[in-house]
Amino acid sequence: MKTLIVGLGNPILTDDGVGVKVAYAVEEALRRNPFSDRKRVSKDDLTITEASVGGLRLMEMMIGYDRVILIDAIMRHNGHKPGDIFRLSTHDLREISLTQHNASAHDTTLATALEVAERMGQPLPKEVIIFAVEVEEIFVFSDEPTPAVAAAIPKVAKMVLEEIFKT
Amino acid sequence: MSRITIDPITRLEGHGKIEIFLDKEGNVENAYLQIPELRGFEQFSVGRPAEEMPRITNRICGVCPEAHHMAGTKALDALFDIEPAPVVKKIREMFYNSFYCTDHTVHFYALGGPDFVIGPDGPPAERNVLGVIHKVGLEIGGQVIACRKRNHEVIQWLGGRGVHPVAGLPGGWSVAVTEEMRQKIEAIAKENVAFALFSLKLFEDVVLANKAYVDLILSDAYAHRTYYMGTVDENNHLNFYDGMIRVTDPEGKEFVKYEAKDYMKHVAEHVEPWSYLKFPYLKNIGWKGFTDGMDSGVYCATPLSRLNAADGMATPKAQEFFEKFYETLGSKKVKGRYQPVHARLATHWARLVELLYAAERMLELATDPEITDPHVRPIVTNTPTEGVGCVEAPRGTLTHHYKTDEKGILTRVNLIVGTTNNNAPIAMSIKKAAQGLIKKGVEVTEPILNMIEMAFRNYDPCMSCATHSLPGQMPLEVTIRDADGEVIEVVSQFVQ
Repeated sequence: MKTLIVGLGNPILTDDGVGVKVAYAVEEALRRNPFSDRKRVSKDDLTITEASVGGLRLMEMMIGYDRVILIDAIMRHNGHKPGDIFRLSTHDLREISLTQHNASAHDTTLATALEVAERMGQPLPKEVIIFAVEVEEIFVFSDEPTPAVAAAIPKVAKMVLEEIFKT
Repeated sequence: MSRITIDPITRLEGHGKIEIFLDKEGNVENAYLQIPELRGFEQFSVGRPAEEMPRITNRICGVCPEAHHMAGTKALDALFDIEPAPVVKKIREMFYNSFYCTDHTVHFYALGGPDFVIGPDGPPAERNVLGVIHKVGLEIGGQVIACRKRNHEVIQWLGGRGVHPVAGLPGGWSVAVTEEMRQKIEAIAKENVAFALFSLKLFEDVVLANKAYVDLILSDAYAHRTYYMGTVDENNHLNFYDGMIRVTDPEGKEFVKYEAKDYMKHVAEHVEPWSYLKFPYLKNIGWKGFTDGMDSGVYCATPLSRLNAADGMATPKAQEFFEKFYETLGSKKVKGRYQPVHARLATHWARLVELLYAAERMLELATDPEITDPHVRPIVTNTPTEGVGCVEAPRGTLTHHYKTDEKGILTRVNLIVGTTNNNAPIAMSIKKAAQGLIKKGVEVTEPILNMIEMAFRNYDPCMSCATHSLPGQMPLEVTIRDADGEVIEVVSQFVQ
């Protein structure tokens, strides 16, 4: 199963890059723990990368994979604490994204971008799983996340690894 | 004073809010675009080796990492005082024009396009990229995706990575072009030219053929007579990668032409108590407030501005469309130069003329006999001190300025990013549109909000400049407050 793992966010904007740091942690864990006894995914099937993009460009990266796991920062401001971890689907994403128009001034939402690709008949992944970490600070340049978010990184990495090898 | 805020309700990618202040009569007194400040970039950079900057700064923005990479790389050329070989300049420029083909395409089809293809007052559920595809057809949607895909491949080959390029070196470029790669890039560039011509035809059929749209584009509500900035070559033709910075006045005459390194002699930054944003203006005219005209130092740096600042385009087909652009929009030639077009919504058309130029220039470079010269990595021997690098980012002139100690460790960093140039014009455009549309007794509806949004969308403002937290959207909510600050009505752009 051709699987793409993307750590999203800006790695030099405090908590925004939590997804990127998780992706590195996953890569490191796989380097230490090779694939020998794994069934569903072989080393050649797995691509781990990072990107500070959203919407259309992210969708374009996903074309041609069977399964995509995204890790990103999220800020929901409704009672969630920094470091809280959410496992979301693209359906959930659409629930959060109330509007299709103008995701940002220069992009669309991922949900809209995926819908575009689907209508174009592009080969999209059958499974898209999103791990999101509630973040605290995303306006200050720093490559160190805040403590609660830093503590979530190994937890999310473990969840991603379990997801990769889930049968 | 009453206050209307167009405000995102959650923290989102590139969020900003528009605040509109009403006077006692219920008419618009002032309008501002508020964007949260990203803090501490200089502190983050100081103490690091300068050669890391092209890789660090391309993280500032997820929309145009290529532009930051290129400005940073050129700043290193200047810092280490090393003139890149012709092949290096050509590879960089080819890479950069390929990037323009992706960036301008997405703006027209996904962001600016919906207002014209579906209509500015069309149903919001359709006024988006999906609506555009529905209207223009799946085949065209497929072409848009294909255009971006093939150019992202070129960016990956030449930039060393798919999204955040790493190939820029002081005076050099880490990837040489093989003959096999060159042939592929040539084929891709030809497809780009065809796609750009197709897009211009689509613009004519959908927008120019519709008198209501042309009237909207030319309407006074979306016009400002400002100065214009752009980069030009030795023939005063537009260039995205390199050249002199040229500023023309509102009547179309050259005001100044200078080298990028002298930017501080010509551009100063105004600050306002209500915003973190800086408002660059022409130092030698002065800040006269948010106003246009010959006496105001406000300038604009956008696709429209670049066309206005240039005498023409360096490639033949783009030149034809350049002339058509000015002739169609009623500009007269004075002393061999077209008079500037001040209609801000014409920026969408200007962007497509630039798309064609980018495609043609990419093809020229892909067929240049020198492009496969393998000597792309010079040895740096000079002691670094200070360097300025400048390119035309899709959203405006982008300047990187670094100072270092003798070991190349950064001591000062200053950036003027593309959109920043346009902060004052954007504020003026929002105010003017709001004044025209919101009046006492007029109900503030979604189409009205969208018409105000259109005033800043044509600048293709890149407010994200970094963050990508989910869910990545920019919903707008308007809160209308009475004179005591009480909320009397909430209007939302959401589609449920």
